[in-house]
Amino acid sequence: MTVVITPTMIGQVIISGLLAGALYAMVALGLGLIFGVMRVLNVAHGPLLMLGAYTTFWLFQLLGLNPYLSLLVSMPLLFLAGVVLQRVLVHRVVDAPELSSLLLMFGVSIALVNLAQLGFTSDVRSVEYLTGSFILGPFAFSKSRVIACAFALAITAGAFVLLKKTRLGKAIRAVSQSREVAQVCGINVQRIHLITFGAASALAAAGGTLVAVMVAIQPEMGQVYTFKSFLVIVLGGAGNYPGALLGGLLLGLIEQLSSLFITTQVNEAVAYVLLVLVLLLRPTGLLKGRS
Amino acid sequence: MATNIWQPMLAAVLGLAVLAGSVPASAQAPIKIGASLSLTGTYAALGQNQHRGYQLCAKHVNEKGGVLGRKIEFVLYDDQSLPATGVRLYEKLITQDKVDAVLGPYSSAITEAVANVNDRYKMPMVAPMASTTSIFKKGRKYIFMVQSPAEVYLEGLLDVAAKQGLKTVAIVNEDTLFPKATVQGTIELAKKKGLQVVFVEAYPKGNTDFSALLTKMKAANPDVLGAATYFDDALAITRQMKELNVNPKMYGVTVGGDLPKFYEQLGRNAEYIYGATQWEPELPYPGSQQFAQAYKKEFPGADLSYHSAGGYAGCQILVEGVKRAGSLDGEKIREAILKMDYDTVYGGFKVDQDGFQVSHKMVMFQWQEGRKVIVWPAELAAGKTRFPTPPWNQR
Repeated sequence: MTVVITPTMIGQVIISGLLAGALYAMVALGLGLIFGVMRVLNVAHGPLLMLGAYTTFWLFQLLGLNPYLSLLVSMPLLFLAGVVLQRVLVHRVVDAPELSSLLLMFGVSIALVNLAQLGFTSDVRSVEYLTGSFILGPFAFSKSRVIACAFALAITAGAFVLLKKTRLGKAIRAVSQSREVAQVCGINVQRIHLITFGAASALAAAGGTLVAVMVAIQPEMGQVYTFKSFLVIVLGGAGNYPGALLGGLLLGLIEQLSSLFITTQVNEAVAYVLLVLVLLLRPTGLLKGRS
Repeated sequence: MATNIWQPMLAAVLGLAVLAGSVPASAQAPIKIGASLSLTGTYAALGQNQHRGYQLCAKHVNEKGGVLGRKIEFVLYDDQSLPATGVRLYEKLITQDKVDAVLGPYSSAITEAVANVNDRYKMPMVAPMASTTSIFKKGRKYIFMVQSPAEVYLEGLLDVAAKQGLKTVAIVNEDTLFPKATVQGTIELAKKKGLQVVFVEAYPKGNTDFSALLTKMKAANPDVLGAATYFDDALAITRQMKELNVNPKMYGVTVGGDLPKFYEQLGRNAEYIYGATQWEPELPYPGSQQFAQAYKKEFPGADLSYHSAGGYAGCQILVEGVKRAGSLDGEKIREAILKMDYDTVYGGFKVDQDGFQVSHKMVMFQWQEGRKVIVWPAELAAGKTRFPTPPWNQR
């Protein structure tokens, strides 16, 4: 009953893993940004992604808008939602002990999921837009996943450029390194916090829009991405932004390869075992993060 | 405390009312039936259908004057598709809400968890949506099965496959109680029918990427794929099968594939897919078609599936049990239900001494031009199978 694993199969599975991983990386970058800049672990990151997915769903359902075009709506919309969230709630706990912010974000997370249940019902929805794959030799590239991966890489690259090259990006990194010194240098820290939370929410929204054409949309779809993002930033090194890309791709590969070589039942377990190992052996992440 | 004064007074008043014997039905407190359902979470789509079945049954029973001269009323909670929450809710229903009877939750996993609670309080529970045999074989005395067991869900698929001369079968399943039972039953049935099982693999609940699983399965090259699924995974597996061009000669799913939504979301990609179902409106059961019509009128636009009819039937069975027992005493209701041989909108109901279902029949359909055509068993079939399944781009 055992299946002989051929190189073609391994190739196919690596493709799937990398396609998934790029998306994980983009979503996790948002979580990493907020953690890096504010030391707040945003467990509501997944529910924000869920809101992005619903934005795409409704635009598709009601206006027939191309799901990929809806990135132009979901990202600004969630950017705004993130700014409001930061302005109204999160800024109160930035300096509080980490447990307070964690509790607050859990509250926000539960509230968002319940509001979605109230507003959208728990009906499972989906955006039936693109099925099938591109075939290249023996390999199949799922159309929806290839496009999602391309967008994710482009958006992630855009975010890196913004962080690395622009004044705003430098300010964000400065605040992330030391808030006091940044403040002394004339950076408006409150404003950077607002922008960071907004940008992170927009990244989650992009993730939501991109997965909307692949998986079932329902109010609780987001949680799993919170956990995956958490895994990704620990693997990559918390506070190390390029680390998120490495961590994301790695997680995608681990999930798919353990599914191929062991069994699908354990793919999550394998990822978490790896998390424990990384925490034990390289607590700052594979790329050096900030302790 | 205030309640300590009020409770005896209330009891006295009620006692007098009963003694007087002339109080009209409407003046008596309704019979409270408790249940928790998966109104949110993974099983939400299916749990909501079952919920509508319960609601419609209560409406119909009350229109006919209720039972024992009293109306019935549901005390209903959402267990969020979580077994642990279900346990807490049934505990609350029985001890705090003091319901008179309970009906089952959605899914085998949650029923298995809550069955210990109602058993401990000796409160009968008709469990319409639990199909795992083991739940009813643990010596529990107060739980009653309504539908066919998980083990026979894919019997139709295998039976048709064997008759078509197919040889090999692959089985994939969600790693939870009910799909696991389906897998065990399917392996047994495959042996009996002379089919060889070439691949079996489980995946965790909530899994969204089946690439590796399907890549492996494709390499095993089975003639038939049976997937013991719920809804989200049935959808995801089907999409990824198309993406990875996995195309066995027959492909069937267990739960989820029968929902109208399955076809709405997959469109032509759902064509030729087989599905197992406990019930379809056109089956010749007494009251079945009337139920479907009333349901569409009561809940316009809502999903109608076997879960709806099963919920309705579970409530019918409980009400009939109470009527035959002539009392709300748990022991008497239990004895009445054990003796019943009753036709519901959902098909026959009869259980053995363990509460295990022996009368209900499973059917298999195939999606053909957007319709579920019942193709098995022969005596209930409304059409022929379209065999074999063509390539994905020719559907």
